[in-house]
Parts: sequence; structure tokens; C-alpha cells
Amino acid sequence: MIQIEQLTKQFGALVAVDDLSLAVARGEFFAFLGPNGAGKTTTIKLLTGLLKPTAGRVLIGGHDIQTAPLAARQLIGYVPDLPFLYEKLRPLEFLEFVGQLYGMDRGAIRHQSGALLRVFNLDEVQDQLIETFSHGTRQRLAIAAALLHDPQVLIIDELMVGLDPRGTRVMKDVLRQRARAGTTVFLSTHILSVAEELADRIGILNRGRLVAVGTMAELRRASGADGALEDAFLALTKEKAEAAS
Amino acid sequence: MNVVWMLLRVHGRMARRRVAAVRQESRLMAGVIAVFVAGYWVGGYYGFRAGIDFLAKVPGLQAVLLDRLLYVFFGFLFVMLTFSNMIIGYAALFQNDETQWLLTLPVRAVDVFRWKVLETGILASWAFLFLAGPLMLAYGVARQVPVWFYLKVAVLFVPFVVLPAMLGAVVIVGATRYLHRQVFKLVVLALGGLMVAGAVVFVKPYDVAGMEQTQMVAVLNRLLHGSQVAVQPLLPSYWVASSVIAWSAGWGSRGGFFFLVLLSNALMAGLVCVTAGRRWFYDGWSRAHSRGEWRSGIPLLDRRVNLPRLAWLDRGIQALPGLAPATRALVVKDLRMFWRDTAQWSQFVIFFGLLGLYVVNLRQVAYDRYDEAWRTFVAVLNLGAASLTLATLTTRFVFPQFSMEGRRLWLLGVAPCGLRRVLLEKLWLSSAGAVAITLTLMVLSCRLLRLPGWQLWLFSGTVVLMSFGLSGIAVGIGALFPNMGRGAAALHREDNPAKIVSGFGGTLCFVVSLCYLLGVIGIEVLALYAPLHWLGWEAGLRLLLVVAGWLIVAGVSVLATVVPMRLALRRVESLEI
Repeated sequence: MIQIEQLTKQFGALVAVDDLSLAVARGEFFAFLGPNGAGKTTTIKLLTGLLKPTAGRVLIGGHDIQTAPLAARQLIGYVPDLPFLYEKLRPLEFLEFVGQLYGMDRGAIRHQSGALLRVFNLDEVQDQLIETFSHGTRQRLAIAAALLHDPQVLIIDELMVGLDPRGTRVMKDVLRQRARAGTTVFLSTHILSVAEELADRIGILNRGRLVAVGTMAELRRASGADGALEDAFLALTKEKAEAAS
Repeated sequence: MNVVWMLLRVHGRMARRRVAAVRQESRLMAGVIAVFVAGYWVGGYYGFRAGIDFLAKVPGLQAVLLDRLLYVFFGFLFVMLTFSNMIIGYAALFQNDETQWLLTLPVRAVDVFRWKVLETGILASWAFLFLAGPLMLAYGVARQVPVWFYLKVAVLFVPFVVLPAMLGAVVIVGATRYLHRQVFKLVVLALGGLMVAGAVVFVKPYDVAGMEQTQMVAVLNRLLHGSQVAVQPLLPSYWVASSVIAWSAGWGSRGGFFFLVLLSNALMAGLVCVTAGRRWFYDGWSRAHSRGEWRSGIPLLDRRVNLPRLAWLDRGIQALPGLAPATRALVVKDLRMFWRDTAQWSQFVIFFGLLGLYVVNLRQVAYDRYDEAWRTFVAVLNLGAASLTLATLTTRFVFPQFSMEGRRLWLLGVAPCGLRRVLLEKLWLSSAGAVAITLTLMVLSCRLLRLPGWQLWLFSGTVVLMSFGLSGIAVGIGALFPNMGRGAAALHREDNPAKIVSGFGGTLCFVVSLCYLLGVIGIEVLALYAPLHWLGWEAGLRLLLVVAGWLIVAGVSVLATVVPMRLALRRVESLEI
């Protein structure tokens, strides 16, 4: 569903993403890890078509994000780390607007919005303007908006930051459920326990290069660490950092 | 449904809610805005009317002068609208969260571009209607036009504001697509430098021999000659002014012709703009967000360009005696941030560049050859222009400073230097910057007008006091009425200083600044002209009255600086971060 082919993004002398190739299957939950400045956000910007690659290409559901952006983005639901929301709208109004931008009909928007507001416990704040929401409530609304058009690919950047335990639990359940139903989830996160708990496969990016990819067991084998994902992550990123220096 | 139409509807709904919130939450703010708008319209109408009546007294030339005034007015507006569209457009197209969000949705990039150009055009042009309204009303009443004249002029203004919006968008999207940000900075600086150098080199005073006998004719000739650039038939401002003049004279078909010329050019500009947006916007956006260098393939553009990193300024500040290390750090941080934000300093360059051009041009109209009363009057006007520009800029740039620190308050608020020092640093920095610019302009203006030494000292001293007064008002009210959002909204709040200014605090800051500068200029005018009226220019008491007036100005300025700053310092000491 997501096909990344020899993707490279250079910012002058800096190679932010270096010859990245990766395929994420339909219904797969893929966690994308890496230290700060590894190139995760740049990769996500390339996946959503916000940036043009220096080389390589990204296919979403077979559509090249650069040459057929509308068809590719129609399949994507994207949640950035600091989502943009219209402060002076109410949640339902915001969802209606997003649904219209995705070309959904009014009936479907109303039906889906109602269900999502209930799932994310937003129905109790639906009469309030978004400007009064806490960070966690904003995050829940942002993911509701991303799920509204029932996307085939869900791309999420640091979703769990700012969510309370109940919100985190709801979010994990929804994502797991969506992946089971066939949605491809691409989650960039620093919270290793979330990746360990939810992901079918994990990719580790370091200095723009994909240094490891596989299941938990495969990563453990590759790193030589027996313990938790944290040990594997530290071993893999340390090794590459030392090699680079 | 059309995407632009959907965005317009949703923004319209939010705008209605903002207006309703202002009415509900702050009746004081709504009242201040209403009084200010009504005051400008009434004052503007009577001011323009008095000017038109004055011109009507010039025998045989009233129509020529009035027409020329319109050509110059619309010419000036066209230039300002274009600059305004470029500045607002850059932020809206390339630095805006909504733009980024829309580009991740199945929305065509050209639709995002069209929406942002429309939004920019509205933001940049509403003030034009606000400013031009009383003038058109006064002009219509003086010309005794029928009511439908106003309706036709309202329609005429639509293509007139569309043209600079399209032109500004094409320039910005083209520059962002093809010029590296640092090259763009250099181009802006070079163009500014060329404009000033051109004005200094090419603008020469005319020979005004014999002006004593035919002084009025010489002045009129000079004005008409000097403003000839505004009556070039290829300028959009010429078309709009010609339409207004023709319709006011009852020449319907001539007015209609120029309206159609304007309309067809606006439509063509729209086509060019959308084509440019379709070709360059997405590429430009991607480039603007791809940090570091890029290569265009054109050797001239690919040459490594390094802007000065202000190292000399850093060293200069480090060498200044008596500054605490924390204050030095704050000054260097503020200067660096200002220098690295092109949208901020380019507005300074434009405003004070235009004012500088005007001052350099004083010799063009040979004001220095007139009697002292007239030269003093021109100097007072210059003081007014410099302080009004300064009031606009302190409200626009200095007022939002404390609100902009909102996200960083965790750092500054708990640092041992404290917020008190932060506020005082902003006052001194703003005042020093304002003094450096306005004092230069004022000294230049007095020198070019060949005013006596005591007047140079008087006006220079006043502008220094006003720099402190206006900075004190802006820093003080900025801390008293910050726009930092509530709760989580503070994290997601508006980072655009232009929008922070549009709140209650910004409006209050501008109104207080305006009252302060009107008060100061009023006192100065009274001190300068009262002796002229009652005692004659050579009276011995004159200097005494001027000194007394200046001391009152000094007192008012100290109050304007100290009172808001004391209140603000008290507030930040008890501020819960």
C-alpha cells in the first residue's frame, strides 16, 4: 500500500533521507523510529507530498504522490504532531468541513462524524469552540478528522504525546481495530513501548538511512540485544552513529 | 463544491464569530473601534473637504489640481497595495499552518494558492476602502455628483484592488520558486539601496529664480511637474483616477472606457497569476521548506551567498560598557531574530524608505527657499509623518513582542534575569532603534529645509522623546494586554504578529499612541505658532514659549514612557507562567 523507492531528500549538503526503500503492506501496522534529527518528519513530509524528493518516489495505493497527488492523498489520513485546527469552529463543523474537502456526501459525513465523536469522547464537548480544547482533546479531534473519510493509509506523527492514559488507550484500540480492518498504519513515534505493543514491523531510521527493519524478533536478532525494543534501538543507532563518526 | 468557496464560507463563519466575541467579551474594545472608525470617517471627510475647498480657491487651476491630487493618491495607493500584498502574501503562502495542512489533503495546490491570494487580497485591501471612503465622499460632495456615482466607484475599486493582489502574488511566488531566501534578502536590500541612491543622485532642485514675483505659479508648476509620473496612461492608478474624474463630470462613456481597461487588465492579471501559481507554487513551497542550499543550475544564482551574520553588531554589543550579561544576551537574541525574519524588517525598510525618499525630495520642491514660517510648518509636518510612521511600526512590531515570547516564557520567566529585565531590554532596544532612524530623518529634514539651529535641536529633541514615549506605550500595553491564548491554545496559538496586533491590546496601543503623538504635536504647534500669531516672529518671548512647550512635551513623554512601563512591570512581577 505504501511503496517507497530509493527515496532521497537533500537540503544542500545535508542528506536528510538517504536512499530509503520500504514497502508497507495493506493492513500492516508499521512503526517508524529514530533519534532526533534522523529524518522521520522529512520522510513523512515526503510521504504526504509536502516536500518534493531529490530522488526516488513514493507510491500510495499505486499512485505516485508527485505525479498523481490528488488520487494518492484521497487514500491518506494524516495526523501531524501539532495538528492544524480552526479555532473558531465546533468539532462537528470542523469534521463537516474536512469531509467536504474529501468530497464526501453530507449523509456520510454526518453518520461518520457522529460515530467518531462518540468513539473519541468528543460528543461531550461538541458545543464548545476548538479554541477552548486541551492539547489531548485537539489530538483526538485531529485523528477523528483523519479517519473521517475511512482512509486506506493512516500516517501519524507522534500521536500519543499529550494524551492522558484513557485517551492513549482509546487511540491504541482504534488504531489496532483499523489495521485489522485493512488500513495501513504508518506511525512515527519516540515512545518505544507503543511501537513494541502495536506494530507488526518496526523500521529504525538513523542519519537518514534505514538501519533496520523487521519484526521485534528480527530486530532483536539484528542488534544482538535480547531485551526490550529500547535495547535493540540503542544498539542499532549507537552502532551506526559510531560507524559514521 | 468549489474548494475556494468552501474555505471562504468557513472563514466567513469564523469571522462572524470573532466579531460577535468582541461584542460580547469586550464592549470597551467594540466601543474604541467604533469611535475610531467613526472619528476617522468624520474627520477624514471634513479634512478632505477642507483641502478640496482650499484648492477650489486657486483661480483657474482648481480642476487641474484636484485631478492631479487624485492621480497621485491612487498612484501611491497602488504602490502601497502591491507591497502590502507581497508582504502578507509571503506569510500566507509559505509560512502558514493552514496552507501546510491543506497541501496534505486531496486539494489541488493551485486551489490552495487561489484561496491564499484571495485571503491576502482581502487582508491587504480592506484598509484601502477604509482610507479612500471619506476622500471619495468629499470629492463627490464637492463635485455635486448623483448617488449612483458612489456605486459605480465602489464597483471600480474591485478590479483596482485585484491588480496589485495578482501582481504581488506573481512576484512572491516567482521569487520563492527561483530565488534562494538569502538571495531574496540581498535583492531586497539592493533594490532599496538603488532606490535611495537613485533619489539622491537623480533628484535635483529646479532653478527657482524669480520665484518671489510669481511664487504661487512656480509652486504649482513644480507640483504639477513633480507629479507627472502619476499621469502616465499605462498606470492602473491612471485608469481608476480617470474613471472617477470622468464619472464625476458626467462623461459616462469615458469613465466606462477606463473601467473596462482596468477590468480587462485585472482579468488578464488573474490569468497570469493563476498560471504562475499552477507552475510555481508547489515547487516554491517545497523549496521554501527545504532548509539549506539549493542549486538552480544557473551559475550566477548558484554562487554561494552569505549574508553578514551581524558579527560586528554582536561584537559591538559585547563591547558596550555597563550592560549586564543577561541584557546583552537578550539584545543579541532580539536583533538576530529580527534580522532573520525578512517579513519583519522588509516592512521597516519600505515604510522608512518611503519616508526617507520624501525627506530627500524636500529640495525638489525647494521648500528651503521659502520663508521661515512655511519651513517650520513643513518641519512640523515631517515630525508628524515620522512619528505617525513610528507609531504604526511600534504597534505592529514592538507591541506583539511580549505575546510572541509566550511560548518561551518558561525559559525567560524562570531565568534569574526575570521578566522585568526582559521588558526593560525591549524598551531600550525599541527606543534605540527608533531614535537611530527617526533622528536621522529629522536632522536630514531640518538640514535640507535650512532651519535655524535651535529648531534643529527642538525637532530632534522631540523626536527622541517620542521614540521613547511610543516605545514605552507599545512595550507596556503589550505586556498588560498580551495575546498568548488560553491553556493549550497557547501552544497552538497564532504566531503571526499581524494577527496579535488585531486584538484589543493592539487597537488600544495604536489609539493611545495616536492620542499621544497628536498631543505632542499640538503642544509643539501651539508653542511655535502662538508667538507668531500674537507677538510676531522676532518677539523675545518666542524662545521662552518654545522652551516651555518643549518641557511640557518632555513631561508628557516621560509620563507616556513611565506609566505603561510601571504598570507592565508590576504585572509581570505577579504573572503566573
